[in-house]
Amino acid sequence: MKKIIVIILLGTLGFYTAHTFFDIGFGFPHFEHGIKDVYLQKTVSDLKVSNTVTSIVVNFRGFDTLGEVTVLFLAVTALGGILYKRRHEVGERSVLFSASSIVTSGSKLLFPAIILLGVYVFIHGHLSPGGGFQGGTIIATGFLLMLLTYENYSVNHTVLSLVESLAGIAFAGIGLLGFMHGGTFLQNFIEPGVLNNLFSGGVIPIIYIMVGFKVGAELTGVIYTVLHEKG
Amino acid sequence: MSILEIIGGILILIGSAFLFLGALGIFRMPDVYNRLQAGTKATTLGGMSLVLGVGFLEPSWMLKSLIIIIFIAYSNPISSHALARAMYRRGHYPLIKDKDKEKMDAYREVVPHKTKEEEKS
Repeated sequence: MKKIIVIILLGTLGFYTAHTFFDIGFGFPHFEHGIKDVYLQKTVSDLKVSNTVTSIVVNFRGFDTLGEVTVLFLAVTALGGILYKRRHEVGERSVLFSASSIVTSGSKLLFPAIILLGVYVFIHGHLSPGGGFQGGTIIATGFLLMLLTYENYSVNHTVLSLVESLAGIAFAGIGLLGFMHGGTFLQNFIEPGVLNNLFSGGVIPIIYIMVGFKVGAELTGVIYTVLHEKG
Repeated sequence: MSILEIIGGILILIGSAFLFLGALGIFRMPDVYNRLQAGTKATTLGGMSLVLGVGFLEPSWMLKSLIIIIFIAYSNPISSHALARAMYRRGHYPLIKDKDKEKMDAYREVVPHKTKEEEKS
């Protein structure tokens, strides 16, 4: 009896799922000249964003980017889980020498410059090539330089996970605010402003800054974990 | 064609020539240190004059190109120094003729390195 009910329920569910999919009508063009023209026109006219890649990644396919950020978070967590035990058994890092005094004093000046470049890249993500992922990676390379140069340089894992979580919550929270203002998740609800200005594009720069913080914190954590694993 | 454009073109030509010579040196030189020297010195001068030439062609970018030149002059020697030191520590010693060996490899006293036994193993 139980099995029959399960089969009936599954059948109903399957029927309605298939019904919904048949209604979509695959293979028919929904836009007259393909979707690329819609993206290219709306990027400049509606969103006031100069970089089309950014507008596609953050606005038109913003939900996809949220998924990517989640994948990165899961990968970092899994890596930390795998390497955590071995790190505590050994308790030392795999880079045994500290660098020479030339590199040590040189990296003191290079580190702020690298961080500045990373911040520039993710703040100007909607104006110039680059964006949150690229800027975050540049910031992580700055921390890699410091970790390779100084023998006892360490990053605070509490701060890293705090930054990471707050940035992720802010991304999802901006998406939920779209429900209140526009009606859909990750709706661009702020006024777009003027094309080519720093404050333009509505929520796109805010989301990309959050992505930059998140990626930077996560990759720094990855580098720290891998360097302190006994190879 | 203004005088700035001519200066910029000449600088870019010089820069490209030096970059080409650097690439040739990396291909042609016998050991790690000679290749590193060719790669670093030639690309430092080549990159600097290339960026300066771009600054002359577009005068509004001059400040940016000067900042880039400072950055190249600062970071390129540091990185090549770190590379050479790491190679020395890994046990890649310069290719030297036997009679000059004691004089030229005096650096071995200063930097900790792999001993003969570690090299064999």
